Amino acid sequence: MSIPTQPSASTSLWCLAVGESREIVSIEGAKADSAAQRLVDIGFREGQRVTCLMRPGFGAPRVYAVGGATYSLDQQTAICVIVSEESRT
Amino acid sequence: MINVLLVGAPNSGKSALFNRLTGLKHKVANYPGITIDVGSGSLTSNPQVTLWDFPGTYSLSPVSGEERIAIAGLRSALHDSQDALVAMVLDATRLEKGLTYCLQVAREAAQAGKSFVVLLNMMDLIESDSLELDVSGLGTALGVSIYPVSARTAKGIAAVEQALQTGDQNVAPWADTPDALIRGTAQQIGKRFTPKGDLLVRRQALIDQWLLGTVSGGFAFVIIMTLFFQAIFTWAAPLMDGVEAVVIAIGSIMTSVMPEGFLADFVGDAIFGGLGAFLVFVPLVFILTLIIGALEDSGYLARAALICHRPLSLFGLSGKSFVPLLSGVACAIPAIYAARTMSSMQERLLTYVAIPLMPCSARLPVYALLIAILIPNETALGGLIGWQGLAMSAIYFFGISTALLVAAVVNRMGDRDRSGGPFILELPAYRLPASRTIFSAALNRAGHFVRKAGSAIFAVTVVVWFFGYFPNGGEDLSSSWLASIGRFIEPVFSPLGLDWRYGVAIIASFLAREVFVGTLGTIFGIESADADLVPLADQITASGLTVASGAALVVFFTIALQCVSTVALLAREANSARFAVTLMTGYLVLAWVAAFVVYNLAAALLS
Ligand SMILES: Nc1nc2c(ncn2[C@@H]2O[C@H](COP(=O)(O)OP(=O)(O)OP(=O)(O)O)[C@@H](O)[C@H]2O)c(=O)[nH]1
Ligand SMILES: [Mg+2]
Repeated sequence: MSIPTQPSASTSLWCLAVGESREIVSIEGAKADSAAQRLVDIGFREGQRVTCLMRPGFGAPRVYAVGGATYSLDQQTAICVIVSEESRT
Repeated sequence: MINVLLVGAPNSGKSALFNRLTGLKHKVANYPGITIDVGSGSLTSNPQVTLWDFPGTYSLSPVSGEERIAIAGLRSALHDSQDALVAMVLDATRLEKGLTYCLQVAREAAQAGKSFVVLLNMMDLIESDSLELDVSGLGTALGVSIYPVSARTAKGIAAVEQALQTGDQNVAPWADTPDALIRGTAQQIGKRFTPKGDLLVRRQALIDQWLLGTVSGGFAFVIIMTLFFQAIFTWAAPLMDGVEAVVIAIGSIMTSVMPEGFLADFVGDAIFGGLGAFLVFVPLVFILTLIIGALEDSGYLARAALICHRPLSLFGLSGKSFVPLLSGVACAIPAIYAARTMSSMQERLLTYVAIPLMPCSARLPVYALLIAILIPNETALGGLIGWQGLAMSAIYFFGISTALLVAAVVNRMGDRDRSGGPFILELPAYRLPASRTIFSAALNRAGHFVRKAGSAIFAVTVVVWFFGYFPNGGEDLSSSWLASIGRFIEPVFSPLGLDWRYGVAIIASFLAREVFVGTLGTIFGIESADADLVPLADQITASGLTVASGAALVVFFTIALQCVSTVALLAREANSARFAVTLMTGYLVLAWVAAFVVYNLAAALLS
């Protein structure tokens, strides 16, 4: 199928399925600037690969691995991390 | 004099290394943000060297209280004229996370002309998994001396000790590097030297699959918490019986060899009746600390915080409130300190509101005594459930739910932005708890409990005994001075179905809650004509305390904020004396009203 998809070639970290691994494109202004800064400081930087490890139910924060460490982020934080949309091959 | 500043990312083992090097016992646990203040101690092998244990930080931009303290402390130490050596602790298993801060601090240290070394901790884990890490290459890339070490096994400690004593370490070469370049370099170095493969992350994810699964995670949480509370009582019970037997045996011997009269009465009533009644409950505190310690060092707490995040946010709290609240089950003081790690001020204040209602260990003796009096020591379902243990769980449940409800009400009252702060929490690797460390921490805590509460109890029991024994030499408690004072305050407590003896004990317990048990022990000690020592619970049972009054007592103690140190610390940490005083008065009024309601309900139902 070759139906053109949406123009934006990126999505947020929150949408990743368990085991999915993507490259970080940018950190969009988090609600509090300090949160965006903190994300960068702990390793969520442009070009880093991030993997979703767990998606516990009921809207609980999810677990991501980046740079050899694991962090849990809630929804309002994870949607600030924009990752590349990868074509499945 | 050399000052060594142990800095680094949270949970990298700074305090564990500090303890190894100084022989001190700073708190160590597998949760980021345990150390909340800068502490110091001197190197065991050379008292000329002072070590400073800093709170962990991810970068020079702090977001929470303890990080601000760490960075302010670091900057003032760097710009001090005294000799200082920065020892950056890196977690070898999570190299990348510490490198930005490492280079940032290296730059600041270089600008201030202070030397800088890296302690590459947790090397035992790298070795046990035969991961490959080029330590000297990493040192070269960072341009500083690097020492591989394990705080757990002590391997490499001798070399570190040596290095810290020789002040002639390098100044790091990053003095003029701009921040953007520092971050990029940190990332590159991290990529290059992180051991290949994701063995550690995968192993952790395997356990998380169960402990964080949508269904299994909830189950696991409930089971772990139930075991937690049950274990406290089932494991402590034999220890408590042992202590009681010893106290009574020694007391009987002492009183029997002493000549009859004033002194023997004092020893029997005040020392063994009062202080002894309290000592019986010390094993509870020991076991409680032991279990919390094991839980903290396993790595599960961060998972529990994650699971509780959404439920707690219904009450205006957050997942970050979980650890402070759980610490509150031991004692409100460390719990209030632990709340420093919360970045949202609003959530932090609500956590302060909830903490004093958590069933702290000072209340345990009171609960345990009342349960022993009111609930039969029988089991159901073939020994699976003990009624007394169940009653204790119910009291804990009542305390915790009151805490959450009050937080929710307070949250509703102030109509601020209710969406809550961001939740970002590092999940540490699972680890087998370091049994020696947590055992000695529990002993320490029990010892502290005995010293602190013990001295208050001793002072109070002496006073109570004096007024209760005179003017008639212990012949008739009801005509003693104590009784006259007690009858004066009785009107406050009689609506709760409690006579003056309990009134006196409650008033005395405002010094420390445990004093309640000691005071009652003394009063009943004077009252009993018996020369033999009898367990306090039996004496009170014999005196006929009604179930309704007992329930009122439980409710009163669950809610009342009777701890001076808690109020003082709240005033300081919340930076508002008004906040602390309002909480104290509010909880006192609420405690009395709730006890009144429960007493009357129970009396009506049971009559
Ligand atoms: N296996 C292993 N575990 C370690 C080592 N050093 C520390 N730990 C464990 O790592 C965890 C964190 O140790 P802490 O000393 O509390 O870390 P910290 O850097 O002081 O942490 P914060 O005070 O929160 O910044 C604890 O569970 C320790 O038992 C080590 O060398 N090997
Ligand atoms: Mg520490």
